[in-house]
Amino acid sequence: MPQLGQGILKGMGVTLQHLFGQKITRQYPEYKRDLPERSRGMLTVDMDRCIACLQCMRICPDHCISIEQTKRDADGSGKPKPYPVGFVIDDSRCMYCSLCVEVCPVNCIYHTEEFEAQAYNRLELARQFGERPVDPRVDPKPTVKKKKKATAKKAPRTVERAVTEKDDAA
Amino acid sequence: MLGEERRAEHEGALTEPPSSRLVSPDIRDEFGLETIDMNMGPQHPAMHGLLRLILELDGETVVRCDPVMGYLHRCQEKIAENRMYPAVIPMTDRLDYFANMHNEHGYCLAVEDLLDVEIPPRAEYIRVLMCELMRLASHIPSIGFLMLELGAFTPILYAFRERERIQSIFEAVTGARMMFHYIRIGGVKADLPPDIPQKIWDYIESLEAHFQRDFVDLIQDNEIFISRTRNVGKMSQEQAVEMGVTGPALRCTGVDFDVRLDYPYSVYPELQFEVITDTAGDVEASYRVRIAECLQSIQIIKQCLEQMPEGEVLGDTGRRIRPAEGEGFGRVESPRGEYAVHVVSDGSDTPYRVHYRDPSFCNMQLLQEIVPGHYLPDIMPIMGLIDPVSGGWDK
Amino acid sequence: MQTVLNLLEVEPIRLLISFGAVLFLVLNLAAILTMAERKVSGYIHLRYGPNRVGPRGLLQPAADVFKLFTKENVSPGRSDLWVFLGAPIAMFIPAALVWLVVPFAPDAVVADLNVAILFFVAITSIGALGVVMAGYGSRSAFSLLGALRGAAQMISYEVPLILSLLGVVMLTGSLSLVDVVQAQGDTIWTWYFLPQLPMFITFYISGIAEVKRVPFDLPEGESEIVGGFMIEYSGMTWALIQAAEFASMAVISAITVTLFLGGWQPPLPFLDLGPFNWVWFGIKTALIMFTFQWIRWSVPRLRMDQLMDLGWKVLVPMTLIWLFVTAGLMLLFPSLGA
Repeated sequence: MPQLGQGILKGMGVTLQHLFGQKITRQYPEYKRDLPERSRGMLTVDMDRCIACLQCMRICPDHCISIEQTKRDADGSGKPKPYPVGFVIDDSRCMYCSLCVEVCPVNCIYHTEEFEAQAYNRLELARQFGERPVDPRVDPKPTVKKKKKATAKKAPRTVERAVTEKDDAA
Repeated sequence: MLGEERRAEHEGALTEPPSSRLVSPDIRDEFGLETIDMNMGPQHPAMHGLLRLILELDGETVVRCDPVMGYLHRCQEKIAENRMYPAVIPMTDRLDYFANMHNEHGYCLAVEDLLDVEIPPRAEYIRVLMCELMRLASHIPSIGFLMLELGAFTPILYAFRERERIQSIFEAVTGARMMFHYIRIGGVKADLPPDIPQKIWDYIESLEAHFQRDFVDLIQDNEIFISRTRNVGKMSQEQAVEMGVTGPALRCTGVDFDVRLDYPYSVYPELQFEVITDTAGDVEASYRVRIAECLQSIQIIKQCLEQMPEGEVLGDTGRRIRPAEGEGFGRVESPRGEYAVHVVSDGSDTPYRVHYRDPSFCNMQLLQEIVPGHYLPDIMPIMGLIDPVSGGWDK
Repeated sequence: MQTVLNLLEVEPIRLLISFGAVLFLVLNLAAILTMAERKVSGYIHLRYGPNRVGPRGLLQPAADVFKLFTKENVSPGRSDLWVFLGAPIAMFIPAALVWLVVPFAPDAVVADLNVAILFFVAITSIGALGVVMAGYGSRSAFSLLGALRGAAQMISYEVPLILSLLGVVMLTGSLSLVDVVQAQGDTIWTWYFLPQLPMFITFYISGIAEVKRVPFDLPEGESEIVGGFMIEYSGMTWALIQAAEFASMAVISAITVTLFLGGWQPPLPFLDLGPFNWVWFGIKTALIMFTFQWIRWSVPRLRMDQLMDLGWKVLVPMTLIWLFVTAGLMLLFPSLGA
């Protein structure tokens, strides 16, 4: 032992200082802190504004939103428009990424400050917002538009263009 | 022969298989000695996650150590092939869950490499500020975990107190304590709230005030800590470079490699900071490197707060992010090493292939090469040197 | 009433009743120590310990004991059942037996043996048996390692433990613990920890090693061999092992106080409480137990070879040298000894 234990005693001094220091525990549930305004809690939907565009269903990475869409003339304008007759958000899948909130064109889906999502049964965690209940166990299979080639905004980097007869001719 | 002499015998011998370095075969046959095959299984309180180590022990000495990974594999790379480019960002958050900002940053750099986006300078500064706060929030618990595995239960609680305070800053800025989804393709999601720069200043000043007492005085001169970590996990520079190790584990051997300065990205060229290296390649050196990097991060955060320009925070990427065919590559310096993302695009809304080069995965080779010859209790400090995160090595 | 008190004079009945009382004290002490440990650790970690059960958490030991009684005692299928179940008993009995010779107050000893120190040393040595039985009976790789480490550690730290007692024995001239307490005067600077400071430190460190607490808790190495020799125990068997560990921690503290810190003597003569001097004994023992816990939460643990190095290469030479110094000083100044 090169030293006589001064390092250990120094460490013990630090621990003793903390022993008589202030505790940093906040005793939940008697104390609930104020959440910042950007906090992302559980989702909720304002069904009066929803236009059933299905954007949130398409963007959700976990497939937790499932919407049943019909055409209905809800506001009496004479033209049947898309109407969400069934809307379910599955809290057991939601990862609070807020992609659906950002993509909604009418800002009808948003985060609340609640975070205590608990239930005795997993199916109870799926909250229904529409008139008709939607089964949360069925994967909504949102359609993603694929295979539409982009106009080249940037020259492709590693795609080598094969030499064709047109080049030889030109 | 015990301890240091035994280990000095096979320093740097990469070409021999590990078992032949120890008890010689004829002695083993003559005395009928056997080794114990033991499993430090996936269910273990100190495994940094879900890692299975197949150990062959000769008494207390480890003869062979094979890590078996895959217990937390979540198919992140495959899932990313079916999600649109912006929707992959929350997935990247969940890879190395102690360095979320760096994961997002790496992916966004890779996609911005494919697109033609101009990132506003304020966004760059905010990205660096968030990444350096994340580095603090990762290095301080790393030190805590190292001490937890050595047997001291107190430093980890002091470390998590710091991490909680940083997480509350993150919550005010991004809305979530851990899975931020903040760095976007083209910038960051939203500007800092007006009271946050002052909060960060106050936090940094309070951290500087008690950092020395809580994390250096308690640990650095402790004789037991020194005897447990000095000359344990010692590797040479050639060994480390050959195994593809990056990050503090590489810099503690003396190799001066830091992605922030060697492949500069974002606004790091405009910030003043040093690359911390140490010459002894052992666990104590990695502890010193991490402490010094924490202090460097504090300097970088102060500079970011002072130099941050005004402006907008999200560049214009157009209505749809649909890059042309090609490949994009982005690399960042995460707290564990070099984190890189390789995105291959086929021109549609979703990537064709996303590959994450995670530092925890690559640094795990150290376990198989360095551990044989050490004692069983030395495995945990060596894991503290590597500091892997199971979300990283398993993806 | 008078017949009861007369009965207490009769020798076997007095022994049995007082030992029963001490055993009751020890079991309660083990339960209270679990609570004290958690509270002290909580306060060091800037948090409250358990504070929900009862006022400020004081009924937590009761809740713990109730839980452990109702828990299933699982034993591994391949284990050697008699050895496996006998190990906690083999660990608890030595820890409880040493309390027979501890002097709480003047004339308050269960058994005033004139070879009390020898009795203490002999019974403490049996503690290693329980560790080996636990590790061997569990038939698991982790517990085997824990048992081997535990046996090596406990046996090799008995040597400095015993050697450090010898200075006290030389100064007192008797092996009886009551004589040791009375030979230390009733002022704090005549207690034995000052003239025998290296021996005190050695005894203290060896005591921590005998009880297998951090920094010597490699037999129960929580980070690598989760639980070590007690990895396969659950329920009341585990509770008995924990009670044995806390009881032996308390008894090592008590013996340290008796040998080096004046036993039930007050630090200054005017603080003498007469027959209530067991209060001083209790305060000093509690202080030593607090330092055990304080060290536990401040330092990491030693590796096996470093542990052995410390025991054989540092503590034993230190005690041997100080033994000669003490003997030399006693020859030069004959007034030192008894």
